[in-house]
Amino acid sequence: MSIPVIDVRNVHRIYESAAGYMHALRGVTLQVARGELLCIMGPSGSGKSTLMNTLGCLDTPTSGTYRLEGLDVSTLTDDELAELRATRLGFVFQSFNLLPRATVLRNVVLPLTYTDTPKALRRERAEAALAAVGLPTAYFDHRSNELSGGQMQRVAIARALVNNPAVILADEPTGNLDSATGRMVLETFSRLRDEGKTIVLITHDPDVAAWADRTVHIRDGKLLTDEEERAYAQRSGSRGRT
Amino acid sequence: MKLSDLVLETASAFDANRARSLLTVLGVVIGIAAVIAMTALIGGVKASLMNEMGMSQARLVEIYCFYNREMTLDDINAMQNELKDSYEVIVPTTSGSADITSSTEKATAMITGTYPAYETVMGVKMLQGRFFSQDESNSGQLVAVIDQSAVKKLFGNENAQVTGETVRIGGLDFTIVGVTESGAGAGYGDNVTVYMPLRTCQQRISGATAIGEVLGLAVEGADMNKVASETREWLAKRFNIPESDQEDSIYVITMQSMREQLDTLLGSFQLLMTAVASISLLVGGIGIMNMMLTNVTERIREIGLRKALGARRRDITRQFLLESVCLTLAGGVLGIVLGYAGAFALAGLAGGAFGMSEGTSITPVIGIDSVLLVAGICVGIGIVFGYYPARRAARLDPVESLHYQ
Repeated sequence: MSIPVIDVRNVHRIYESAAGYMHALRGVTLQVARGELLCIMGPSGSGKSTLMNTLGCLDTPTSGTYRLEGLDVSTLTDDELAELRATRLGFVFQSFNLLPRATVLRNVVLPLTYTDTPKALRRERAEAALAAVGLPTAYFDHRSNELSGGQMQRVAIARALVNNPAVILADEPTGNLDSATGRMVLETFSRLRDEGKTIVLITHDPDVAAWADRTVHIRDGKLLTDEEERAYAQRSGSRGRT
Repeated sequence: MKLSDLVLETASAFDANRARSLLTVLGVVIGIAAVIAMTALIGGVKASLMNEMGMSQARLVEIYCFYNREMTLDDINAMQNELKDSYEVIVPTTSGSADITSSTEKATAMITGTYPAYETVMGVKMLQGRFFSQDESNSGQLVAVIDQSAVKKLFGNENAQVTGETVRIGGLDFTIVGVTESGAGAGYGDNVTVYMPLRTCQQRISGATAIGEVLGLAVEGADMNKVASETREWLAKRFNIPESDQEDSIYVITMQSMREQLDTLLGSFQLLMTAVASISLLVGGIGIMNMMLTNVTERIREIGLRKALGARRRDITRQFLLESVCLTLAGGVLGIVLGYAGAFALAGLAGGAFGMSEGTSITPVIGIDSVLLVAGICVGIGIVFGYYPARRAARLDPVESLHYQ
């Protein structure tokens, strides 16, 4: 059996703030296999953003281990983590986070400028990534703030794809889109999964979760199985009714 | 990130903030413009003074001595003999004034009687004809060399061909053999400059035998300070001047010492201006820092995004540093252009205020070294005042900055 792309074991993340300690992740263990479309669900404040940041190497666990493609990231320096983000990870955000005044192509090329990719190759790869998300060539030289929401998110997905990363991490990618456009974006993810990409979706929307191969729930910093989640929901639901 | 990528990022950042960038950089522009204008003006003043005072003649020594009696031709001849190791040539001058009239016009001639070698020693520029010759000088002929302003005054047109013409000076008919360029202060009132042989001047105009100022041309490669002290000693001995009176009786001025004095004077003036300008640059630099800090705050999400996409700290530092350096450098270029233009405007005003004639106006001079220095200073300001904001941007936490509202 090949090693999982993501291998998280017993990860805790404790924040220190003026208000005291915040225990955001409490012993999270999670494996994601290559080519899997995983959905992480949870209400706000459940720790799903912290988990996402940890998986994206933007944040390091307080304790526990995280191996990305077998590499223990806790031993890496800031610059090495940056390199990892530049080459092995792709991010898609709820609010797209494109550079508004830059053209579509420049937005997609951006991650490549932080790698050694030769100039000649950059455009080629950016165009391939844009083709993969189905954005028509006519838009390539438009400024990104001239696009519709769905187009912007597809540009953002192309940007996440351009480095051919091990994992694409998407945080509420359909949160700012209407359901028809959201559906198009999810179809894009689904197609990429079919092409062998590993994708982690974070959402609180069950309709989005329906597209996933597997769903895990997070509550109060802990991952729950489907059964535990159902039990949890029933308990809190009955409490809500009485 | 490659330099070409950084430049592209910087260009688009400016594109986004054109008006604000321009306003912020104004402090630097003003500071640099002040420095450049002053440097150019002082350079121009220096060049024009050097020119007018014949200061290009580094080997020139002006000698004057009076102790109980004036210098005479005997003194000059003796000096020529005894100091021949120091001087290539020694030229006596005597001065006088007389009425000068052409067929139609009248003026007052400020006459210098001298040797033909005066032309070489003082670097006189001839516009027409020639300086008077050794033969004319020896026999004391009635020949005169006049300056261009005299031509204008006496013949109506400064370009009139006047060699061979006759003018009356002090009631005698003189033949004009040449025309020189006008020197400093030329063209004031009715005065015109006239050169004639020493002997002619002494015998026909002033009737005296006294020598006024003496001009010496030191030998090539001579130590000018040594030549000057030798000359002082020689004069003191010849005139029997006691130690205590020497200071007041003997004037030996080398062009080098005058140039040094001038340099010191202009240098201290420039230092003062530079001090004032550096305050402006300091204020400008703080303005740049302020704008860059605002810039960082406004672009926190962009910085977070860049970090998420793989930018290292140094990529972010470089991006913001390059932005501030480009800003100050652009300010510097603008300042150089404005300062140089301003120097011309000021030179025009100054020329008008002092009533200088057209030929003697100040032309601002700015060297490539000053321009490079200013460019260097601008880059320095950009780095110094851009470093703190850039570091601050680079140290931002990617998670927090991504979710910054």
